[in-house]
Amino acid sequence: MRQNKLIQLAIVLPILLATLSGCGFKDIDKRFFVVAAGIDRPVNNPNRYLVTLKLAVPSPKIEPGSAKAQVESVEASTIAEAVRLIKSRVDKELDFGHCKLYLLGDRLSSQYYPDAMDWISRRRDIQNVAYIAIGRPDAKTVIEMNPPTERFPGNTLFLQLGKDGTESAYIVPVFSFDFIRKAQERGIDPVLPIMNKEKEEYVISKLALLNKNKTVATLSPNETEIYNQISHHMKKSTVTATINGQSLVLAVNKISSRYRIVKEANGSHILKMKIYISGIFEEAPLGVYSSNWSKLEQKFNEHYEAEANHLLTKIQQAEVDPFGFGLRYRATHAGSDQTWKAWLSIYPQLKFEIKANIKIDGTGISD
Amino acid sequence: MLNRITTLFAEAKDLNTYRMSNKEMVIEIAYISSLCDESKVSDFILVPFQKELQPFDDIVERNPQFQIIQDPAMWASIILRGFVLLSVKGRIYALDTARIIRNETPATQVETAILGPQLALSEDMVDSINIIRSRYPSPELAMEEKTIGSMSHTRIMILYDNRHVDPNVLSEVRSKLQSIRIDFLNAAGQLERKLSGKLGLLPTIIITERPDRVANSLQRGKIVLLLQGTMFALIMPATFYEFMHAVDDNYDSFWMTRMLILLRYFGVILTITMPALYIAVISYNPELFRVQLAFSIAGSRSAVPYPSFIEVFIMLFMIESLIEASLRLPKYIGSTATTVGGLILGQAAQQAGLVSSIMIIVTSVVAISNFVVPVNNMSISIRFMKYPLIVPAIFFGLTGVTVGIFALLCYMTHLRSFGKPYFRIFGPIKAYTSDIGQVSEE
Amino acid sequence: MNRYFYYNVFLGSMLNLMLYVPHILIKYRYNGAISSMLVAVAIGTGLAYLFTTVTQAFPGKGLPEILYIFFPRAIVIPILLFLAAMWYVASAIAIIAYAVLINRFFNPDTSAIIVLGLLTLVCIYGATRSTLSVMFMMEMGLIINTPLILFILMKSVRSENISWDAIRTIANYWNQMPQLTPIAAASYIFTGYINFSIYNRLTPPNFRLKFRWMIPVFCTVIMLISFFVPIGFHGTETVVHYIYLWSVTSDSLIMNYGFIERVIFVFLILYLNLTLIYTTSGWHQAIEMIKSCFPSNKPDVDQREIPWINWAIATLFAIVSLLYLHFFDEKESFKLASAWLVLRLFAEAGTVFLLFGMTLRYRRKSSL
Repeated sequence: MRQNKLIQLAIVLPILLATLSGCGFKDIDKRFFVVAAGIDRPVNNPNRYLVTLKLAVPSPKIEPGSAKAQVESVEASTIAEAVRLIKSRVDKELDFGHCKLYLLGDRLSSQYYPDAMDWISRRRDIQNVAYIAIGRPDAKTVIEMNPPTERFPGNTLFLQLGKDGTESAYIVPVFSFDFIRKAQERGIDPVLPIMNKEKEEYVISKLALLNKNKTVATLSPNETEIYNQISHHMKKSTVTATINGQSLVLAVNKISSRYRIVKEANGSHILKMKIYISGIFEEAPLGVYSSNWSKLEQKFNEHYEAEANHLLTKIQQAEVDPFGFGLRYRATHAGSDQTWKAWLSIYPQLKFEIKANIKIDGTGISD
Repeated sequence: MLNRITTLFAEAKDLNTYRMSNKEMVIEIAYISSLCDESKVSDFILVPFQKELQPFDDIVERNPQFQIIQDPAMWASIILRGFVLLSVKGRIYALDTARIIRNETPATQVETAILGPQLALSEDMVDSINIIRSRYPSPELAMEEKTIGSMSHTRIMILYDNRHVDPNVLSEVRSKLQSIRIDFLNAAGQLERKLSGKLGLLPTIIITERPDRVANSLQRGKIVLLLQGTMFALIMPATFYEFMHAVDDNYDSFWMTRMLILLRYFGVILTITMPALYIAVISYNPELFRVQLAFSIAGSRSAVPYPSFIEVFIMLFMIESLIEASLRLPKYIGSTATTVGGLILGQAAQQAGLVSSIMIIVTSVVAISNFVVPVNNMSISIRFMKYPLIVPAIFFGLTGVTVGIFALLCYMTHLRSFGKPYFRIFGPIKAYTSDIGQVSEE
Repeated sequence: MNRYFYYNVFLGSMLNLMLYVPHILIKYRYNGAISSMLVAVAIGTGLAYLFTTVTQAFPGKGLPEILYIFFPRAIVIPILLFLAAMWYVASAIAIIAYAVLINRFFNPDTSAIIVLGLLTLVCIYGATRSTLSVMFMMEMGLIINTPLILFILMKSVRSENISWDAIRTIANYWNQMPQLTPIAAASYIFTGYINFSIYNRLTPPNFRLKFRWMIPVFCTVIMLISFFVPIGFHGTETVVHYIYLWSVTSDSLIMNYGFIERVIFVFLILYLNLTLIYTTSGWHQAIEMIKSCFPSNKPDVDQREIPWINWAIATLFAIVSLLYLHFFDEKESFKLASAWLVLRLFAEAGTVFLLFGMTLRYRRKSSL
C-alpha cells in the first residue's frame, strides 16, 4: 500500500512541477554574458543615452588571442530602454551577472551622472563589486577595443582593474557599491579611475574627482599615486625626490598615514596629517650607500610634503572631499546635524599641515 | 521409521537408508549422502556397530553427540540440515555429520584494510563464531540462535556483549526478527532490508566481513547478527558516522586518518551534489562561479546540442553502466570494458560535441568519490542519492539543490537505528547531565 | 546538554536579518537606534534569565504542560493558540521574505509563489517530524552552516572597504532617546531562548543550564555586526535605501581565491538553510502548541508514527503563507514584521513574567 502511494507520488509530482515551472531554465550557452557596459551621452543628442555592451563569445579554445567579443551599441532615451533594444538585436539572453565593468562616458560624467548610477544600483543582477570607471574619450571607444592577447573576453579588464592581476599605484579600482555610497554620503565624495584607449591597450593612470553630480577635476598620474598612498596605503608605489639634479626613487615597503582635524585657538581648523613611509632605493646614483641617509630622508620629506600639500589644496579648491575628511569630522564630533553644517563652513577654510616621515631601509642589492 | 522417511523424500535420489543388524540388535539409519560426511557416518555409526566392542545402544546413550528426537515432525528438517537419523531400539537419535562446502576462511575482499587483519568471516557460522570468539575472549559474549525463513530455515546467531548491550535495542531486535516473514533468506543484505524497511534511503545496519569491526562493535554494545551461509555479519544499531569510518582509521597514522575521514565526507557531499549543482549552475545561476571559470564552462558546452540535464542523464547512464558492467563481467574481460568505456567517455564523446569536457570531469568525480565510502551497503545507497537531487535542480536551480539537501538533512535526522539516533553530534555525555530526550516517565 | 539550548539562541540571533531587524534599526540610526540597542540588551538578557529559571524548575515539561499546572484549561487554550500564532507568524515572515529574496537574486524568472511552495513543502516535511528529530536537524544544520556564516561575518568586519568613519559617525548618535520599535527589533536578537518553551520537553530531569552569560555576549556581538557592518559598507546615507540590506552587503565582499568569487551566493545559500531550519522549528513548535490544546494529547518527544494532525496543521500553515504572499506585497510584509516585532516584545515579556511569578508561588507552596 505505502509503496504504491509513493510510486504514485513519484509520478505525479514531477508532472505537477513540470506544468508549474520550467521557466528560468536557460543553459549557459544560450546566454550572452555582458563583460563590460558603457553608458554615454551621444555627441549630437545630449539628452539621450548611448549604451554599449561588450558581449563575450565563449570559445572552446583557451589560448592567448582566442577571446572573441561582440559589441552592441544602441541609442535610446533611457538606459533600460537601450538595453531592451540591444536584446532584440542579439540571439541569446543577455546576462549581466558577470559584468565587471561599467564605464561612464566622459561627457556623461561631466554633465550629470546620478541617473546612470541609479540604474546600476537598482538592477538585481548587477554585481555590487563591479568596477566603475570613466571612459575617455567616450565609453564606446574603450569598450569596442579588443586587446590582441586576451584569453577570455574582458579578462584584461578584470585583471587590470582588480587585485588578481597587476597592482599599480596609478590604478584606483572603484567598486560600484563604493561609488554609490560615496555619491550619497555626507562627508566624502567619489573618485573614479579614467580609462583611456591608446593603440590596443587600456591606459588607466588618472583619477577623476567627482562631486555629487559630475566630474569636477582630474588628477595627474603623480597626484593619483599620492592619493593612493594616503588614502589606500598602496604599497606597490614609489616616492621620488631630486637631489643635485639626480632623481632618486624609493620603492615603498611600508606606508601608513594618520590625520586629525584640530581646532586652533583662533577658531580656524587645521588638518594635521602624518605620513610614514619606508622603502628601498630602486633608482639612485651609485655610492648612495655611503652618503648620509638622514639628509636624503630630509630631502624626500620636503619633496613629499610639498607634493601632498599641493594635492590637498587642489582638491579643496575643487570643492570636493575624496579623502573623507568630512566623514572623519562627523565621526569625531557629537552626533547631530549641527556637526555637518559646521563642517560645510570649515572645509573651504581648512588649512593643511603635512608631516612626512620617510625612512630609507636599504639601497637594494647594490650599494 | 524408514518407510516414513522414504515417503517424505520420495523423489530424492541421494537419500540413503539402511537397515543393519549385528548380533544384538537391528538399527535403521537414514541420511542424505550429499549433505553428509560419509566418513563421519562410518566412524561414528557403522564401525562401532559392526565391531561390537561395546553394546551399540550403550554408545548411543552415553555419547552426547547423539541427540534424542521426540517429535517425528522434525525428522525431515533434521535430515535436511545434514544430520543422520538413526533408530535404535525404538528410539530415534540424530547425529550431526554435516559436510558444509564453503570457502576456506578467505581473505577480506569487500572491505580491505592494509594494516588490519586480513582474515574475513567464514560462510560457515561456526567458523565465524570461532574467529569472533578468539578475537573477543570474554565470558560476557552472549549468543542466541534463531531460524528465519519458512523454506530456507536459515540459522542466524545473535551475538552481543551482556555488559554493554542496551536492553531496549536488544528487545527491539528480537521482536523485529520475530516478525520477519520470508520464504528464503540467502544473504545478509536481504535480512538488512527486512529489518530496516525496504524503502529506507540510507542503511541503518552495517554489513561487514571484517572480524575486527565485529569485535569493536561488540565491545561498544552493539548487536551482531551472523547468518549461516554468508560471510557477512550485520551490526546494529549504527550511526551515519560509523559507515564513514574504515577500520584502518584506528590502525594508521592519526593525522592522515583524520584527513581521510574528512576526505570521505567531502567525497560523499561531492558525489551527491555534483550532478545537481552542474545543472543548477549551467542552467540557472552561471554567475555563481568566477568569470574565468564560467567562460571556460560556456566555451566547452557551446557545441552540446541539448539542455544540461539531458547531458547529465546521458553521462550518468554511461558511468553507471560502466560500473555495472565491470561488476557483472567475468574478471578477465572486466578491465577491457573499463578501458574501452573510459576511452569512449573521455575522448570521443567530448570531441563529438555530445558532452562538455566539464561534464566529463563531473562524472568522474561523482564516480570516484562514491567509492571512498568504506562500507559497501552505504556506498550503494549513496550512489542512488544523487538522482532525487537532480529533480529539484532541474526546476529550481541552486534553490532546488539547497532545499533538496535540507530535506535530506531532515530525513537523516529523523532516522533511527533501532531506536537510536542516526545523525547527530555524539558528544561525550557526562554521567550527571544525561542526554537530551531522556525524559522521566510519569 | 547545554548546547541544545544555545543552538536556539544562536539560530534566533542569526536569523534577525530575515525579519528586517537591521533595516528597522537603520531607519532609526539618527534617532535612537544605539540607545534602543542598549536597552534591548538589558531587556533581552533579563527575560532570558527569568525564562531559563522557569524552564529549569520544570525539566522535561514544555510550556503547555507548565501552564496546565497553574491554570484551568479554559485559560490555557487561548494563551496557547495565541502563542502558536506568534510562532507561526515569525516563521512565516522569514520564509516569505526568503521566497521573495530568491525571486530577486536566484530565480528571477520563477514566481515567488512557486518558490514559496517549494520551501513550504520541505518545511511541512520537516515540521511534522518528532521534536527530537527537529532538534537534531537544528543541530546538524547549524553545525554545517555556522562556520561559513561566521567566516563571512568575520570577512565583512575585516574587509578593507568597510568605512570605520561611517560607523563611528553613527555611533556618535548614542545620546538620542530610545524608541519602542527599534527596542522591539533589537530585543528580537535575544529571543532564541523562548524556543525552549517546547524544547524543554527534551531536557533530562537533572538538567542544569550553564554558561548563561553567553546569551548577552553572543547576541550583542551579532547585533552590533548586523547593525554596523552594513553602515560601514554603504555609508551613513545610502544604507537606508537598500531593502535587502544584508544581501547587498554580502555582495560587497569578494572571495579572491576559490571557484566562487561573489560572497552573496554563499551567503544566500547559507541563509536559505538557516531560514528553513528556523521555519521548520517555528512551525513544529506552533504545531505542538496547537496539539496541546486537545485534552487527549500526550506529548511524545520522539514519535515514530507521524500523526495525521501534524500534517494537517502544517499544510494549513503552508496554505496560509501562500495566500499571504499572493495578497500582500513586500511593503506590507515589512510593516507586518515591524508590528509583529513590537507585539512579540509585549507577548513575550508578558508570558515570561507570568510564568516566573507563578513559578515563584509554586515553589513557595511546594516548599511549605
